Amino acid sequence: MRLKAYIAYTKVTLLLTARDRVVLFFNYLMPLIFFVAFGEGLGAATSPGAMAQVVSMVLMFGVLGTGFFGGGIRATMDREAGILRRFKVAPISPAPLLVASLVTGWAVFLPSVFLFIVLARWRYGWNGPENFGSLLFVVSVGVFAFRSLGLIIASVVNSMQESQIIAQLMYMPMLLLSGAAVPLHILPDWLQKLAQFLPSTHLYLGTQGILVRGETAWDNRAAIGAMLAAVAAGLAISIKLFRWEKEEKVKPAAKLWLAGILLPFILIGAWQVRDRQQERKMKILERQSRRSQSWLIRDVRIYTGGGAALDRGAVLIRNGRIERIYPGASPEPKEARAEGLEAGGRTLLPALIDSGAPLADPGARPDPQAEERLLAGYVYCGIGAIAAEADPRGAAAALKQRVDEGEILGPEIFPVERRASFSLAAAQAAAGDAALLHDDLARQFFPAGWLDSLAALAGQRPRRPELFEAARQQLLAMWKRGELPPPAGAAGGWLGVHGPALIHELRLWTEAGIPAAQALDAATALAAQRLGAAGRLGCVREGCEATLLVVDGDPLEDIGALSRIHSVFVRGERVQRGELASRNKTGQK
Amino acid sequence: MESRAVISVRGLRKSYGGFEAVRGIDFDVAEGEIFGLLGPNGAGKTTTVEILEGLRQRSAGEVAVLGYDPEKESTEVKDRIGVALQATNLPDKIRVKEAAELFAAFYTRSADIEAILRRLQLWEKRNAFYSMLSGGQKQRLALALALINEPELVFLDEPTTGLDPQVRLEIHTLISRLREQRRTVLLTTHYIEEAERLCHRVAIIDEGRIVAMGSPRELQERVLGHARVEVKTMQPMPEELPEAWREGVATAFSDGRRQLAASAERPARVVVELVKWLENAGVEIEDLHIRRPTLEDVFLELTGKTLRD
Repeated sequence: MRLKAYIAYTKVTLLLTARDRVVLFFNYLMPLIFFVAFGEGLGAATSPGAMAQVVSMVLMFGVLGTGFFGGGIRATMDREAGILRRFKVAPISPAPLLVASLVTGWAVFLPSVFLFIVLARWRYGWNGPENFGSLLFVVSVGVFAFRSLGLIIASVVNSMQESQIIAQLMYMPMLLLSGAAVPLHILPDWLQKLAQFLPSTHLYLGTQGILVRGETAWDNRAAIGAMLAAVAAGLAISIKLFRWEKEEKVKPAAKLWLAGILLPFILIGAWQVRDRQQERKMKILERQSRRSQSWLIRDVRIYTGGGAALDRGAVLIRNGRIERIYPGASPEPKEARAEGLEAGGRTLLPALIDSGAPLADPGARPDPQAEERLLAGYVYCGIGAIAAEADPRGAAAALKQRVDEGEILGPEIFPVERRASFSLAAAQAAAGDAALLHDDLARQFFPAGWLDSLAALAGQRPRRPELFEAARQQLLAMWKRGELPPPAGAAGGWLGVHGPALIHELRLWTEAGIPAAQALDAATALAAQRLGAAGRLGCVREGCEATLLVVDGDPLEDIGALSRIHSVFVRGERVQRGELASRNKTGQK
Repeated sequence: MESRAVISVRGLRKSYGGFEAVRGIDFDVAEGEIFGLLGPNGAGKTTTVEILEGLRQRSAGEVAVLGYDPEKESTEVKDRIGVALQATNLPDKIRVKEAAELFAAFYTRSADIEAILRRLQLWEKRNAFYSMLSGGQKQRLALALALINEPELVFLDEPTTGLDPQVRLEIHTLISRLREQRRTVLLTTHYIEEAERLCHRVAIIDEGRIVAMGSPRELQERVLGHARVEVKTMQPMPEELPEAWREGVATAFSDGRRQLAASAERPARVVVELVKWLENAGVEIEDLHIRRPTLEDVFLELTGKTLRD
């Protein structure tokens, strides 16, 4: 008999919901409008990451809407209208009513998931999601969790008005802070921290992880666990506080039960704030999304290595790789389903590889912010990969992992047994010549005060030009033997100017008489080969990684062009160089 | 009625905070009986009924419904009773038949839905939305839902309040049919006619107490054994009253002695004496009748209040 009641009530609730135009409007039409508006606005067609973002966003709108305004308000309305009163005299507990509300919310919501996925694939050529089952599972648990929240709201309010107010009070911040409506990283730090305590953030990061990173439900088990705990708590509390008639009032203190259902999220939030898991994931998702953007670099000279260049063409970047190279006339970005970048005849070449990059003093305490700034310096200067000494503590390997996953932006790190140590730039510094500090890139990226104080220090050192001259001769000797060393900035010797040092090094090479093409190849294709990344890095060919550099001018004729950087791409992500520089200038003392 | 008591109430009390809504009530309802709780709004009828239905907890007293304690065994009670509530609603977009099927699923026992809807003349309306039903149809549906589990006992709380007279009549016919089926019914009402027409027995409740109980007829006779003779004349009646009226007859004149109400235990004799007296005085009779007391009079007499708002 009991099961019969559950089935019958659920069936009727489903029928009633299907007959309710308002429900259909909020569940399908509204999210659809958002979907189209954001899909067009965020350029979903050119970026699977943006598409994933839009899909997550409309799913979040749907889940939160059906939770707060479907579940809660409906129950309050039925109570106010005296409908629940009639069920009170039947031999049933509130459980069938509550379960029916959960199931109905889920059944009404689910088709919208299919709708949006189909639309995304058909209208925007999206190819996600990899793990559809996991996506369905996570959003289903989400619907149940938020419906439970809605039911608790209904349990603790005394009127429709109160219900509306509380639902809004929870809906707006949860939507805004989940990351669905506004990217979390633009919010102040304390808000980002607060966001980690909200159920909506867990749900959003779960769906984004599945859509963008190809995660599974299992990877999101903590969030799923918290949401399931919320469902259980929600049902138990709603049954306990259930009121059939509007005449039965609850005490204001009962509203504290709302906190009860939030408890699982507060616990997992506290745990995640401690081990920064969530913060890490937010950054990774953001990076993945940027890496997945499609770009069409138009009207560009393409340096293909060995001194050869394609005079004019276009390069299509998709999913972090060079998908296609168009010689001659460039296609329209729209045809290529990519964001266009007008290069205006500039030169595209592989991003450079610094074969000798000291990461940190072996004895120094690890400073994550300093590490990030250091890596930013390389990327800023168009360096897409660095070889660093593998240290016994594994710091280089750990940093490599953070960069690979996308938590921080940086060149790909190759921890090697012995990094290249020959560096003209370092020798020049040792000779007491601080020319590196006057390099354009160094001036752009580092705070002037810091560079000036380094220059002052350099001025106090004895000048020993013979050291530099010896190194130069050594290089020329190697060149003549046909054994050019892999170019290494070695961070400009004691100056510790990471990034610009390699560009400076290449300039010193050409000044010493080495042809620009050979210097460039040494810093790209050959360096990649030594690191075992030939054909992936250091090349501009279809299928190569989109770790590229666009410079103003032709570096074959004027190596100084390497300092006039127009764009840097790292694994498909177009680096926001201006932002990196300004952050470094304010962050570095 | 010697059959077993379906409802038994002893010393029932219910307070809400400081307010005592029910202040010690005793009554029994026998099987097959239609029992009416009559009283004005706020007298405590609904509270009493809701305690019996297992919806509210009592403050004191003993209550048994179908042998169960509705407070401790509310599911058993609810499963066996039928209830038509006073102020209730169904979702606008539920169809009549869906509502019946839904409620049927809640009970251990359920009646044939088609038969019930036919009996309440709702079968033609089975696919209509609740919101499209007229007031009378809604009330018939409420009755249908109350009967959906073939209940041994039916509670009808103000089943005709707010309905127009014709619909009320229709509902009365349906309730009379329950009476013929020998179902036990507890009916609350503040309509006198309803109680007089439908109930075997009536308890009059005022301010949380039963002030009188019995069949409508018994109540009329017990409380106000006097019938009233009312006469209207063309000319003023004489000052001098008949000899025989000195004792046992109460008189009240109005309209310049052109109207008289005389109450007495034996109204027939009063009529004879009245006619004789007026004829002797040469006063012409315009209108004359004997009025039996109604429950309304009973109520007025017992409580000093009228039932109608």
